[in-house]
Amino acid sequence: MFKNLHLKVGLFVITVLVLSLGFLLYVMHARGFFEQRQHLNLAAASADGISPGMALTFSGMPIGQVSSVNLNDAGGIVIKAEVSQDGARWLRVDSTFTLDKPLVGGAKIKVSSPNLSSPQLPDNSTVLLLVTDPTQEIPALIERVKNILANVEHITRQDGELNGALANVKTITGRMNGKYGVLEGMLGSEENARPVVASLKNLETLTKRLNDVSAKVDAMLAKTDRWLFAEDGLSEQSKQALAQVRAMLTDAQGSLKRVDALLKNAVDISANVKDGTQDLGKLRADIDEAVRKANDLISDINRMWPFSKDADMKLP
Amino acid sequence: MEFLLNFIERTGAKAAGWWSTTYGIVSFLTDVLSTITRHTTWNRATLDTIAKQIYFTAVQILHIYIIYVMAISWVIITITLSTARNVGLFDAATEMIIRVLLLELLPFLTALLIALRSGSAINTEVALMKVNNELDALSHCKVEPMQFEFLPRIAGGVISVIGLTVLGSVLTTILAYLSIYGMSATGFSTFSTTIATVFSVNILLGLAVKCTFFGLAVTTLPMAAGIETPKKLFMVPVSVLRGMMRVFLALVLIEVLSLALKYI
Repeated sequence: MFKNLHLKVGLFVITVLVLSLGFLLYVMHARGFFEQRQHLNLAAASADGISPGMALTFSGMPIGQVSSVNLNDAGGIVIKAEVSQDGARWLRVDSTFTLDKPLVGGAKIKVSSPNLSSPQLPDNSTVLLLVTDPTQEIPALIERVKNILANVEHITRQDGELNGALANVKTITGRMNGKYGVLEGMLGSEENARPVVASLKNLETLTKRLNDVSAKVDAMLAKTDRWLFAEDGLSEQSKQALAQVRAMLTDAQGSLKRVDALLKNAVDISANVKDGTQDLGKLRADIDEAVRKANDLISDINRMWPFSKDADMKLP
Repeated sequence: MEFLLNFIERTGAKAAGWWSTTYGIVSFLTDVLSTITRHTTWNRATLDTIAKQIYFTAVQILHIYIIYVMAISWVIITITLSTARNVGLFDAATEMIIRVLLLELLPFLTALLIALRSGSAINTEVALMKVNNELDALSHCKVEPMQFEFLPRIAGGVISVIGLTVLGSVLTTILAYLSIYGMSATGFSTFSTTIATVFSVNILLGLAVKCTFFGLAVTTLPMAAGIETPKKLFMVPVSVLRGMMRVFLALVLIEVLSLALKYI
């Protein structure tokens, strides 16, 4: 009935023993019992959230764990960690160690080595443990959010500015839907908008007229241009008149020189009245002649000057 | 007044009953311990009976046990992994599986299976031996029932519980690895790190002690219940009932105590 009872029991017991031993060896291997492990001392301000067994990860892969957290005699935190030989090659002298405490999930120490060409971290080194704890920022965050919410509440209250502003916007957009659109919205009512629209219409008429005037002025200017700069135009006449004036001025200069001589003679005469009275009649005739010429000259100039009062010139 | 007296009397009777039961169990355990430590106990006949007991308790149900463990493990691993994936805690899934299955559920379920199958059988057998005066007869013939009947069953029970738990745990560990990483060795170092994190020396020792206590509970308590059976045949079912209730309470107590020691 119990064939091979002892064999089966023996097999069972041996299997269990081998498996137990195998599992024990595996756990010992996993815990790094058979390999040289690199030791690390982490310096932190607080051991809050750090516990033995906490994982050290590099790029999300576990490379070691915290072996103990103690206080030293000076009251400082001594965190000892062990890193597997395989994982120790990722530790560099410029590696940073950050305690990562996510809101959900277990805390872990993240190792990041920005420069893998740096020298390796020696055994038993002491490194600084940085702490990024979002939970510590939550109270401050909540305080700020509270303030923001209070402001929002204040703004959006029944008699608040926002409601007032929205009511105004509503009134304005309501008016914009009226006969005069945006103008009515801006000016407040249809009555106010109406004169503006009327003015705009007037402006339109005015612009049209101005256009006509402008066309006329254009034509006028063209004519003026032609009259002024044509071969026998005003410009040419002025040039001739100026030449005549220059000739007359030269003439006048000559007459004045003669007057000068006459006056000199007069001085001589007055100094020698006795023998000078016989020339007095000639002198008088000369002066009369000079004054007449000067008069003629002035009247010529007056006549020829285009902008004189009596100028014989009419605009078209 | 009479009611109060009755109440006090009933309470006293219950207390006396509890006391005699506890005393019976403790004295039985003391007997077991003294027999274990006795040099003459470990002879060929005792070892032979132990082997038989292991065969009946563990080897005979091995295939059923493996199917049972694989089914339960597979279901729990799958549920844990999918839940962990859904809530974004997949990193913690391995540890959760190891802690829940390997440390708590498998030892408890193994002890429960053996209690149901072998514990009840032992209880009935001992109760019948008691009713049929076989125990007295054995003592009369200088065949110590403790050495040849009880101790081998206890030793066999303890070894079976530990052995089956180890077997189940190893299978579950392999199943967990395959469920998480598939047929690839890429996750081995991560998995090993988790195993290393969970299985500290204390946890391993605690697990061994717990399994031993489970083994003791599923064999000694039914045996003690069988021995205290009054010599009346109709009392045998009552004895089995009491014995199995005590086993169940003891298993829960051991589990709760182990959890309390581990996590509180």
